[in-house]
Amino acid sequence: MTKVKITIDGHDLEVEQGTNLIEAARQLGKTIPHYCYHPGLPPDGNCRMCLVQVEKMPKPVIGCRTGATEGMVVHTQSDEVKKMRQSIMEFLLINHPLDCPTCDQAGECRLQDYYMDYDRIPSRYQEQKVHKDKMVDLGAGVMLDEERCIVCTRCVRVCQEVAKSEELFVQERGNHSMVATFPGKKMTNPYAGNTVDVCPVGALTSKDFRYKKRVWFLSAADSVCQGCSRGCNISVHHADNRVYRLKPRHNPEVNDYWMCDYGRIDYKFVNDGRRLKPHFKTDAGLQEDSYQNAFAHLQSVLQNYSADQITGIASAQESNEEINAFVDFIKSNFGSLPIYFSKNNPENPYEDDILIKADKNPNSAHIASKNLKPVSEISGGVKAVFVQRNLSAQDAQVLKDKGIQIVALFATNETNLDNLAEVILPIPTFAEQNGHFTNFEGKVQGFTKALKPRGESRLFAEHAEDIKALLSSIKKAS
Amino acid sequence: MSFAFTPENQKKFEALLTKYPTKMAALLPTLWLAQNQNGHLSLEVQEHVASLLDLSPVHVHGVVTFYTMYKQKPSGKFHLQFCKTLSCGLCGSEDLIRHMKEKYKLEHGKVSEDGKFSMELVECLASCGTAPAMAVNEKYVEQLTVEKIDELMKKLSVA
Ligand code: SF4
Ligand code: SF4
Ligand code: FES
Repeated sequence: MTKVKITIDGHDLEVEQGTNLIEAARQLGKTIPHYCYHPGLPPDGNCRMCLVQVEKMPKPVIGCRTGATEGMVVHTQSDEVKKMRQSIMEFLLINHPLDCPTCDQAGECRLQDYYMDYDRIPSRYQEQKVHKDKMVDLGAGVMLDEERCIVCTRCVRVCQEVAKSEELFVQERGNHSMVATFPGKKMTNPYAGNTVDVCPVGALTSKDFRYKKRVWFLSAADSVCQGCSRGCNISVHHADNRVYRLKPRHNPEVNDYWMCDYGRIDYKFVNDGRRLKPHFKTDAGLQEDSYQNAFAHLQSVLQNYSADQITGIASAQESNEEINAFVDFIKSNFGSLPIYFSKNNPENPYEDDILIKADKNPNSAHIASKNLKPVSEISGGVKAVFVQRNLSAQDAQVLKDKGIQIVALFATNETNLDNLAEVILPIPTFAEQNGHFTNFEGKVQGFTKALKPRGESRLFAEHAEDIKALLSSIKKAS
Repeated sequence: MSFAFTPENQKKFEALLTKYPTKMAALLPTLWLAQNQNGHLSLEVQEHVASLLDLSPVHVHGVVTFYTMYKQKPSGKFHLQFCKTLSCGLCGSEDLIRHMKEKYKLEHGKVSEDGKFSMELVECLASCGTAPAMAVNEKYVEQLTVEKIDELMKKLSVA
């Protein structure tokens, strides 16, 4: 690649020939304002917000589609450029409704941001605004407010380029332009949520998130999606110790700017249906109780077995750290039997060659590196098991058929194993801890803690300490 | 009933394809051909054209809605297109348009109950020298007066 020297606002820099001026300026830490340009999509050049001046060029040019050439001298802050930005803003706002107080995009809206940065004049428009439909269900959980759309076509390009399925297109023209699906059809592609992310204004909103929270109340934690073995990089947006939405985080090596719609809603289990306290089996059914009583029950159950009858089943849903802690605990306290693993194993899992993998576990690769055996191969000597997180329906059946008892289940949520386990000990979900997942390509990716561990849930290592103490008191007594 | 080109139009369509570097580039004339055969571009026709040219139906729909001369609804047997632009306006087109509404209950976007007539207001027909003007289907009728219109409507209603 040929390098060229250019000057932007008096700063010299070297970029690859043809780099567009928005990206070139980014290298200097400068932002050229833009709506339709998105670094993950082919440039379109329709919004004109990125107009800049280039010396020796007769007219202003759009930064998003002007490639750097040797000796180019670019001005992004001149009075003329500022005037153009103001005019473009005025133009874009002519028909824009004053919805900010009720608009979900408020707080992360480019119209608001650039209005404050470059416009700041009251509207001169006296005429009636064009009115359009404000609640169009585009399908796939995406709602469109046609009046708010600035027709930047980012959403159209996301469907074309990312989902490889052209389901949106601009219809009509001029003032009446709007994005739409073919009449009578809806979006069905599993990447439709990305259209909401790229929409620079409040035209596209997520049915799942809309009207739930003002965005300025949300905090973000870097994380990794645990929906499949791809491990898309995400941000967990949270408030009041609950997760409100997941957004993709740029990683060119894994997921680029995108994530799938399955992953996007795969946070609900963090908020709801949780096991937040210890439980144990009684004659009257499962009982929620204190740690003290749960461990007392566990002690009485463990007394029925010798150490060489007990092993563990690790989970491909847990982090590298949690899997290691679990396997080490089993090895050092029991250890004569093989250790097993279980995976989330739905029937006919969806996959494609874009992002979505058929393996619906975030950490199969780490499990594979631990030399564990599948539950289907469980041997006769096993009488009782510790189970991490959950078991697939098939694996649960194997235990039932062989009469193997689950002495303790370390669970995030209510599951179909609840009646099989003697004791249930609550553990935090991925959103409540730091850790790593190893994706299908062997990439070890870190995720960070967004929430405090909910309820009385604790990391495995803390449970292990208490169980070790139990085991030694059992030994002493015998 | 599914739409397909007649053998004659199929030949025209194939000839069209040879004139353009890509199939997509042949979209406008293909739509025109389909409209001429079918009278209007129903959603079904749009989907058919999309499949002929390897385009998505929503793309074709976007193009159809962009241009006013692509019809999404059936027109009458006689489609009356009145010019509403300046020269015709100065020469009295508004009176004629009012007359159409009062006497024939026809106005922009309307089709008569018997399906015989439809009316549309259009931009300049490039017939300013003979204003006011209209086009009946593809044929111009110029220097219009109320009398001329009445005579024409009489003729057409028995045609
Ligand atoms: S899209 Fe932005 S400017 Fe428009 S109503 Fe919403 S917040 Fe306000
Ligand atoms: S809906 Fe949003 S992303 Fe799509 S064209 Fe309109 S403003 Fe752009
Ligand atoms: S960002 Fe360049 S024209 Fe829209």
